[in-house]
Amino acid sequence: MKWQRKDILGLEDMSVEDIRHILHTAKVMKEILMRPIKKLPTLKGKSVVNVFYEASTRTRTSFEMAAKVLGADTTSIAIAQSSVSKGESLYDTAKTIQAMRADLVILRHPSSGSAKFLADILDPGVINAGDGQHEHPTQALLDIFTMEEKLGSLEGKKIVIVGDILHSRVARSNAWGLQKLGVDVTLVGPPTLLPVEMDGLGVKTTYDLNSALPGADIVMALRLQLERQKSGLFPSLREYSQLYGLTTERLKKTGKQSIVLHPGPMNRGVEISDDVADGVQALIEKQVTNGVAIRMALIYLLIGGSSNVVA
Amino acid sequence: MWWLKDVWVIDPSQKLSAPRDVLVQGGQVLEISSSMTEEEVLEKAQGESIDAVNGQGKFLFPGLIDVHTHLREPGQEDKEDILSGSRAAVRGGFTTILAMANTQPVIDNRALVEFVRRQGERAGYAHVLPIGTVTKGMQGAELVEMADMKEGGAAAFSDDGKNIQNGEVMRLALEYAKLTGLLIISHCEDKYLAGEGQMRRGVASARMGLKGIPASAESVIVARDLLLAEETEGKLHLAHISTVESVDLIRRAKKRGVNVTAEVNPHHLIFCDEVLGITDTVLKVNPPLGSRADREALIEGLRDGTLDMIATDHAPHTQAEKARPFAEAPFGIASLETALSAVWQHLVVPGIISMDRVVEAWSFSPAQRFGLQGGSLVPGSVADMVLFDPEFSEVIEPATLVSKARNTPFLHKTFQGFPVMVWVEGRLVQRDRKVL
Repeated sequence: MKWQRKDILGLEDMSVEDIRHILHTAKVMKEILMRPIKKLPTLKGKSVVNVFYEASTRTRTSFEMAAKVLGADTTSIAIAQSSVSKGESLYDTAKTIQAMRADLVILRHPSSGSAKFLADILDPGVINAGDGQHEHPTQALLDIFTMEEKLGSLEGKKIVIVGDILHSRVARSNAWGLQKLGVDVTLVGPPTLLPVEMDGLGVKTTYDLNSALPGADIVMALRLQLERQKSGLFPSLREYSQLYGLTTERLKKTGKQSIVLHPGPMNRGVEISDDVADGVQALIEKQVTNGVAIRMALIYLLIGGSSNVVA
Repeated sequence: MWWLKDVWVIDPSQKLSAPRDVLVQGGQVLEISSSMTEEEVLEKAQGESIDAVNGQGKFLFPGLIDVHTHLREPGQEDKEDILSGSRAAVRGGFTTILAMANTQPVIDNRALVEFVRRQGERAGYAHVLPIGTVTKGMQGAELVEMADMKEGGAAAFSDDGKNIQNGEVMRLALEYAKLTGLLIISHCEDKYLAGEGQMRRGVASARMGLKGIPASAESVIVARDLLLAEETEGKLHLAHISTVESVDLIRRAKKRGVNVTAEVNPHHLIFCDEVLGITDTVLKVNPPLGSRADREALIEGLRDGTLDMIATDHAPHTQAEKARPFAEAPFGIASLETALSAVWQHLVVPGIISMDRVVEAWSFSPAQRFGLQGGSLVPGSVADMVLFDPEFSEVIEPATLVSKARNTPFLHKTFQGFPVMVWVEGRLVQRDRKVL
């Protein structure tokens, strides 16, 4: 197929064909990544700029590795979070990056919609590495890749995503992407973190994790931002963990050898217990590896031009 | 002397909506009658030159009175100032505008009230009437010197932009303002419920991951203020009503005889939250765009008189401020120049609201409620008037806007139906869309 997109902003408006094409490309990229000498000249002379307005270790490193394996030059602009509405605006930063003739911009930003905002201004492509509480498409794509690697076709499979749904861009992107692939998606969390209007995403929702688990092929625990407790969204970590923590005991309720995902970093003992996190059902480290492959695929598709890594 | 011939006069103050000839002399409406001969007019002119205007196919109505504008002067003149704002007003068909007090500094004493008033006079376009704050520094704690500020020309009191969270302060304000006979205008917003919200809480906010403002953030304060007005028998005006629950509360309070009026903004009558895209900061407004049901309830409320007035809530911002990710952009729509045409295009032409009702709600009712001159073309009235041409077509372009602000959702849209002549005290200030 012919790749048309300039940017990767989210999965809500991405076609199934595009998702398939990315996953297929990532498979090839993963093979390259697994080689002892992982360096390609494909993107030699191309520059990829990471612009991170939020702290991130794994996502930024993952993008950097992905770009470097493909031979691109990478630059990171880490901007303190406090600069929002102070100092240089995103608009001006965008213009600066444009003037430096970057070929691709990776943006993480605390404001929902910032990636589209940037993409509308810039000639070079933009990959959304997480915009506020809106979308985190590369995370969802690597999650889907990981699920398919283990389970094959996801059509008709059942996933339970549990945690702070309201504030989660990971949950949103996964909900859009997985539904497009025919997955039965159930979102689970306390009412304060799972407002009724989330039904608008077309998914099932419930407050009761125990009743949602039976039959689930995939269970995804989301990272709980501990400061949410201070804003009164739930009374205590203890109660949260009792109701929504993923434990071995609870995981048995699926009635099958379900796989467990977590976007990381984990709060062990809060949303996921040690034994689940380190257990055989958890694919958390695979997610990290696949993350590099997915990001290689996206960078390649956006700025690889006519070079022919993927037949 | 002006002679407007065969023009469709809409004047709710005399329940008139019919073709008439209108004479204007010495800044006042001289006469309105079914038809006049040239001899009669010459005689009345008594030697004064006559400017005759063929009004066929056009409407003449009293100049619009906008009780809710932000002119940003003093302090934020990069967004707008009183000169540019009052020029925008007359271009849009407004002859009197009330300027909200949340400038920098806020208008919380007589000197500042007089400054705003004076700047309006110096500009010399629309009448600019200052609204004073309710509380010192708009801090929601201590009352301003209301009596003194009234002497200086304050037309009402409002902490608009912020809500007075302390119910007791609001109660005292409604009591004390009785000394002045002026209205307390309430910006109804519970700050805890609104939180850091960016748009109305609902499916659209959930989908986009934008923090939501629940409808209750407005309605609980509407309920509170209605009860306080009832208890104190104070005079209350509710700004920018936007929810179905608020309309319902106001309707019931009016049945009980509460001394309250309410306004609705054109954008809440025209848009709902589902049209919002994640980068559409131009539609980021407070109170936020509501649901379809809200929009329908607002239209119904305007039709049945529960909502007494239309007001723009003209909120100019710079392009740089609006060119930001959604959560970082300021709330507000600049609307003085486009509001009347937008209402005409979106509500009157499709038959949703009559033009007679629009004129009543945007001119007559504000004049009555706020005790202002204008709002009527009864002979002897001040000749603040608008000639509206339903055929006149124009593209809304940055180059033609006279406001400093460009933050209108109608940019690059074509409207048909514009004010083409505007008089303030009988003096022509806008002709063929050009401010004179």
